[in-house]
Amino acid sequence: MSLPTLRGPRWVDVRVHRTALLTAGAVIALAVAYTAWLRWAASAYPETADNCVVGKPCDSFLGFASARDLLHISLEQGTLGLLLVPLLIGAFVAGPLVARELESGVHKLSWTQSVSPARWLAAKLTTAAGFAAGGTLVLMAALRLGESGMIAGRWNLHWADRGVYEATGPVLVAYSLLAVALGTLIGLAVRRTLLAMAATGAVTGLLLWNLGNIRWHLLPVDTATGPATEENSFPTRFPYGSFSMDQGVTNAAGVRFQEYECLPKPQTGAACPADTTITGWYMDYHPRSHFWYTQLIETGIVLVLTAAATYAAFRLLRRRTA
Amino acid sequence: MTDTAIEAYALTKRFGRRQALRGCSFRLPAGRVCAVVGPNGAGKSTLLSLVAGLDRPGGGTLTVLGTSPAEARARVAYVAQDKPLHPRLSIADTLRLGAELNPGRWDMAVAERVLAGGALDPGARVRTLSGGQRTRVALALALGKRAELLLLDEPMADLDPLARHQLMGTLMAEAAEHGTTVVMSSHIVGELADACDHLLLVSDGQVRLGGGIDDLVTAHALVTGARPAADLAPHTVIESRATGRGVTALIRPEGPLGGGWDVEEPSLEELLLAHLRSPDAPPLITPGTSVPARPEVTA
Repeated sequence: MSLPTLRGPRWVDVRVHRTALLTAGAVIALAVAYTAWLRWAASAYPETADNCVVGKPCDSFLGFASARDLLHISLEQGTLGLLLVPLLIGAFVAGPLVARELESGVHKLSWTQSVSPARWLAAKLTTAAGFAAGGTLVLMAALRLGESGMIAGRWNLHWADRGVYEATGPVLVAYSLLAVALGTLIGLAVRRTLLAMAATGAVTGLLLWNLGNIRWHLLPVDTATGPATEENSFPTRFPYGSFSMDQGVTNAAGVRFQEYECLPKPQTGAACPADTTITGWYMDYHPRSHFWYTQLIETGIVLVLTAAATYAAFRLLRRRTA
Repeated sequence: MTDTAIEAYALTKRFGRRQALRGCSFRLPAGRVCAVVGPNGAGKSTLLSLVAGLDRPGGGTLTVLGTSPAEARARVAYVAQDKPLHPRLSIADTLRLGAELNPGRWDMAVAERVLAGGALDPGARVRTLSGGQRTRVALALALGKRAELLLLDEPMADLDPLARHQLMGTLMAEAAEHGTTVVMSSHIVGELADACDHLLLVSDGQVRLGGGIDDLVTAHALVTGARPAADLAPHTVIESRATGRGVTALIRPEGPLGGGWDVEEPSLEELLLAHLRSPDAPPLITPGTSVPARPEVTA
């Protein structure tokens, strides 16, 4: 591999970790090729009219119901797999890239050349960030290639699902960058390869999980209400494909409660008004348009955390070296 | 360019509960080849890593080539005791690393000259090399940097006598040609004696002896005589022991010795061993290599 544009400490980082980078590149290329092949197979081998009908075999494509079915399954698992990408990036940066150099003493070589330790760290951060963002973007593009025209509300992939949400917007790139910064900080602080890898994976995973839990509380929800009819107390009018946060029924005073908890008799522990006559329904939801606002707010939060971890890493390094 | 390579004043460094350096003060003039000797754990490596800018001193001041260790980084080369190198890089890539990380300074011809003595395959990976071969690669990297100050921590420990002699020759020739100041540490006293003209004896985190080797040797005398040890009281006695009917002592004469003493010049090894065996002997830093006392400024 010739790298004509890389100079100085970046050249060193890429040269030392060439095998890992080539492996990651091969895995990404494989994922893209697999998606492209499935997409092609889905159109080349359409479902036959009598597929999976009672009495007929349901394994028309490699044991799956159809090529489209396999594509759906692969996409569903692929979106969850993409959530692991920041964890893997963080573990690699923390372990092999930073902690191993400190653990084996090679930093004594790196820090006594003409390049200052701060530039050594900056080179690691920028190189890792470049490859992390690039790799994540290519994987996200592969997912796009597979899903185009399918996620809107179809089948098993919903835009607000964990995995799908991250993998279809800028947050995943931001999480990859956060993993780089966290990996650098933890690698510098821990200085033990395996420990740093495990700790960074755990911290990145926890942040990914917890921010995922609060992301739908960042924006105020839209609310739809309507009168209950004799035969139906269920929400009937709200935008297609919305992400429901809460739904239930209201009495004449407008107090919200859950039909299944309060009727015909209030269950113990349930919050039920005295008047449980249903006169209307309500639903709190995020319309599809909230996707981009939530993405941008969450991306901002993650990038602020990234900047803080980067700053802390430089501070830690400066305290330790001359 | 300054005429002082290293100036340390009241330098301290602590690792956890272990006090590695406790008030090191000395001055090393530029252009010297200095041996830093002392027992294991004396603080030699700590001192060198502070000069190399790898660590921050806990207290005291340290000036390297007229500036701070961080500012001097490009002009100082350092080979750590364990000869750290990237194990997966080939020898050729390791030299390329030297060129990439020292733009404007790197001299590939010098580095290749150091390697030439070892019959090494440039494509060989560093992790396949023996300890001595690693030392050679590490020294090639350090010399290729064309530094003004070369810090070598136990440089020759892994080398066989032939390679040691040959590499030392290369090292000294390069240093002499460019007026490089060289600082080499060793716990083997004799190892560096021939090559060096300057000495720092470090023990228990302090400099016990510092100065030109000739000055240090002539400042001491090895005396033997059939007289009581009390007769040596006007002089600084480093070590004395009873022999036969009298005493043998290593002293710093503070004036003319009385008659009846058989006076010899001690060898460097005798001088160093006597000081290591007598931790209470007062330190001696020869004029010109000591640092005048001044108010402490933290680094």
